[in-house]
Amino acid sequence: MGERADVWQGTLALMVLKTLQALGPLHGYGIARRIEQTSGDLLAVNYGTLYPALLKLEQEGYIASEWGTSDNNRKAKYYKLTRAGRKQLDKEAREWEQTTEILARFLAPGKESA
Amino acid sequence: MKWLRGWLFRLGALFGEQRRERELAAEMESHLQMHIQDNLGAGMSATEARREALMKLGGIEQTKENYRAQRGLPLLETLFQDLRFAGRMLLKNPGFTVVAVLTLAIGIGANTAIFSLVNGVLLRPLPYREPSRLTIVWGKDDRGKPGNLGYATYVDWRAQSKSFEELALYRSWSPVLQTLEPEQLSGLRVTNNYFRTLGVHPQFGRDFRPEEDLPASSQVVILGNGLWQRRFNSDPRIIGRAITLNASTYIVVGVLPANFQSLISMDPHGGPVEIWGVLGYDASLPWACRTCQHLVAIGRLRPGVTFTQANAEMDTISSAIWKDYPKEYSAAGVILTPLRDHLVGHVSAALYILLGAVSFVLLIACANLANLLLARANHRQREMAVRTALGAARIRIVRQLLVENCLLAALGAMAGLLLVYWTPQLLRVLGEDELPRLGEVTVDSHVLLFTLGVALLTGILSGLAPAFRLSKPTLHDSLKEGARGTSTGTSRRVRNLLVISEIALSMTLLVGAGLLLRSLSQVLGVSAGFDPNHVLTMRISVLGQRYNDNQKLRQFFASALASIRALPGVQSAAVTSQIPLGGNVDRYGFHVEGKIHANPELDESAERFCVSPGYLDAMRIRLFSGRDISDRDTSTTQQTLLVNETTARSMWPGEDPIGKRVKLGGLDLPWWTVVGVVADVHHSGLDIAPTMQFYIPHAQWPFPDSDMTFTIRTAGPRDTLTSAVQQTIHALDPTQPLSRVMPLEDYIGLSVQGRRFSSILLAAFAAVALFLSALGIYGVTTYSVAQRTREIGIRMALGAQPQEVFALLLRQWVVLVVFGVALGVAASAALTRFLASMLFDVRPSDPATFVSVVFLLVGVAALACWIPARRAMRVDPIVALRYE
Repeated sequence: MGERADVWQGTLALMVLKTLQALGPLHGYGIARRIEQTSGDLLAVNYGTLYPALLKLEQEGYIASEWGTSDNNRKAKYYKLTRAGRKQLDKEAREWEQTTEILARFLAPGKESA
Repeated sequence: MKWLRGWLFRLGALFGEQRRERELAAEMESHLQMHIQDNLGAGMSATEARREALMKLGGIEQTKENYRAQRGLPLLETLFQDLRFAGRMLLKNPGFTVVAVLTLAIGIGANTAIFSLVNGVLLRPLPYREPSRLTIVWGKDDRGKPGNLGYATYVDWRAQSKSFEELALYRSWSPVLQTLEPEQLSGLRVTNNYFRTLGVHPQFGRDFRPEEDLPASSQVVILGNGLWQRRFNSDPRIIGRAITLNASTYIVVGVLPANFQSLISMDPHGGPVEIWGVLGYDASLPWACRTCQHLVAIGRLRPGVTFTQANAEMDTISSAIWKDYPKEYSAAGVILTPLRDHLVGHVSAALYILLGAVSFVLLIACANLANLLLARANHRQREMAVRTALGAARIRIVRQLLVENCLLAALGAMAGLLLVYWTPQLLRVLGEDELPRLGEVTVDSHVLLFTLGVALLTGILSGLAPAFRLSKPTLHDSLKEGARGTSTGTSRRVRNLLVISEIALSMTLLVGAGLLLRSLSQVLGVSAGFDPNHVLTMRISVLGQRYNDNQKLRQFFASALASIRALPGVQSAAVTSQIPLGGNVDRYGFHVEGKIHANPELDESAERFCVSPGYLDAMRIRLFSGRDISDRDTSTTQQTLLVNETTARSMWPGEDPIGKRVKLGGLDLPWWTVVGVVADVHHSGLDIAPTMQFYIPHAQWPFPDSDMTFTIRTAGPRDTLTSAVQQTIHALDPTQPLSRVMPLEDYIGLSVQGRRFSSILLAAFAAVALFLSALGIYGVTTYSVAQRTREIGIRMALGAQPQEVFALLLRQWVVLVVFGVALGVAASAALTRFLASMLFDVRPSDPATFVSVVFLLVGVAALACWIPARRAMRVDPIVALRYE
């Protein structure tokens, strides 16, 4: 396995939103674990950076939080996607796809020299 | 919108701090526990599970800090912290706080006060529609000076010029309102478009109409709001009613709004104009001629036309008119004075100088505060060192100190604003007549903004040096046990530099004030040409059917004078058409037999005084040669006049003027013969050289004046006599109002009021500056004595004499004073030339002033140093060595 990349700013928010869309309401630890697992352990998430990001999303109104009880009866703060968050996810996902598509075309070998 | 929501959220987070902290801790804790649980499940030992979880979280405190940064507004939060801390610091040192706040209150308050003055008088736009397009249009005389114009000229200007939207005229008018108690009013006669030119509409009734502005039409007036309230009980039915003015009937057609400001007048001491009548001229009237120059033109430029363009156009028109009437003008050309300059131009230099002076006071206050702070800085070194050791960044410390200062400055500003509250009253006492638009001097948003700006600037300016000094990381030394607050060489140099600049700044102000005060005393020392002491004056306008012929009018004054002279306590009494320094000038062409120019308009002109016999006596104006006019000079005898010395010298150099003949105000009237030469009288101002003057007997002048001023020289107390004279005149005719009952000295006072105003203010600022500087010197010496108590103790223990200790301190003082004074002299020499226009008979570099100011400053500085130095000499070596 090569170097594990740090999560870069901006994409973390997208990953959080996507995670919440896929799994429904979830606590911070669960989100962090899920992101690591999904990346196939290619990403190293410093769990500490997650909480300011969550707070920022909440301030922007994309997610909401409430206290609940976890599977093993522990009190935890659960985050869930809001309507605005869903829209934002669609928008950001589209933009991201566009960006990667453009980059992919640039990087595709030999097309323009042919 | 997203960011706005975020910010509101964060702003909200400033409150409910504790609950949020608890929640954050709980969230972190649950995260950790879940992670540990998972790790245990993966087979780690309990310790390892916890360690791994903590590492993955990246340090709980760090995470919390990051979280907090996202949660609140760190800048604002620390600002609140700083403010709270600053408040506590100031409360803990009440002595320091009071001195600092008072110093700042003086500096900021004085600045705000003068700024409110500049703002109200100069900066605020005039209260008329688009005032920047309004201008006075003068004719130019052969000396290039602005002058009034005759009606015929105005007719030509109006017909030919294209630069003006409106061109109106006004002339002086002081009608007597004869409804109920007679009262002399201050008024203007204006062309019907006058208020349209200004852009003002009556509140009730209507404006003048063109068809009313003709000689034969009925007479109409518009009232000022104040007059309407005072004399007509604010009765709106006054419109269309008749009132009696000067024994004729006038119809009131309008009342101006209460917010109309009456700034334009012809009589500088007459108070605001309250009544306007139509001019009612046409070109056929004898007094509408080109040389009948008694009218002032005010115009509104068309949009887009500049003053230069309008001036050029008017110059062309005026040249053409002069070509057609070469004998009716002395020169071609016009002068445009923007209305603003006309109304307030004469005070702007003085006001800006005062603003400059008062900013010096603020600088001194800043320097003083900086000095105080520097001294305190040494005591706070430990505090700052501890903060630095605990990780405070330098910028954070600087910011905290600056916040402390700005808080001080804000307190000072608030105290200063209290001072400003009384400014208008104070200024009214000092300069009522002299400053136009005093009513507009208030604290408005501009003034508040100015104060805020000044306060912030002050806080930062005075705080920078101490802040940087304190924030310097001298951790090591300061934390050491028992280390004294060592004052480094730099900080001592900075403090000395501050005191030197204080001395220099005060010196400049003192020199300025000294020069103005000397000018004032020079002006007051000028002999007016008459003796103003023990003379009572009162003005009367005699009018009505009973005085419609010259003989009756003359008879009235003759009998009034006879009765007044009979009163006990009256030495002599007379009447004159113009009272010296009264602000009214009446100039006539002075055509000397044998020396009349081809164009008589080029002949000199002279001030006319129409007087009764006994005037020279009552005023104590010296008669140099010939004889005074007397009762024997009547309408049937030879026409005689007196001329002043200047006239004699310039018209008949080397000749005896007695017996020479002149024509006055045109060539169509008979000759007048000079019978006497009298002293020059200062009529336009004590600081203005007298011009040519002549006196003609009221009994001989073909149009005897009805508006006259009594001058009564008294032997006894004036007050009792005043009512006696009033009763005497009342007994002759109760319908004639007396106005401006005042001693002749008051006219002298009025004429120097503006000069006195600026001198007193500048002197007050200089005194404050001197006081603050003395405080600065005192502070620095006291401080260095305190710092060196131990050193002085050792020296004295080793046998040093008190004098030697004194010499030690003296050395520092001498350096401060010598540099300060040297700098001050240089700065004063450079700056006083801006005062030149306000000086009289004193050069800006007047050595006497400079020398006395240096002595004063050195004396005060010596006193400020001597008090703490004396304390140093008395230091008991034992006590000093135990000190600290």
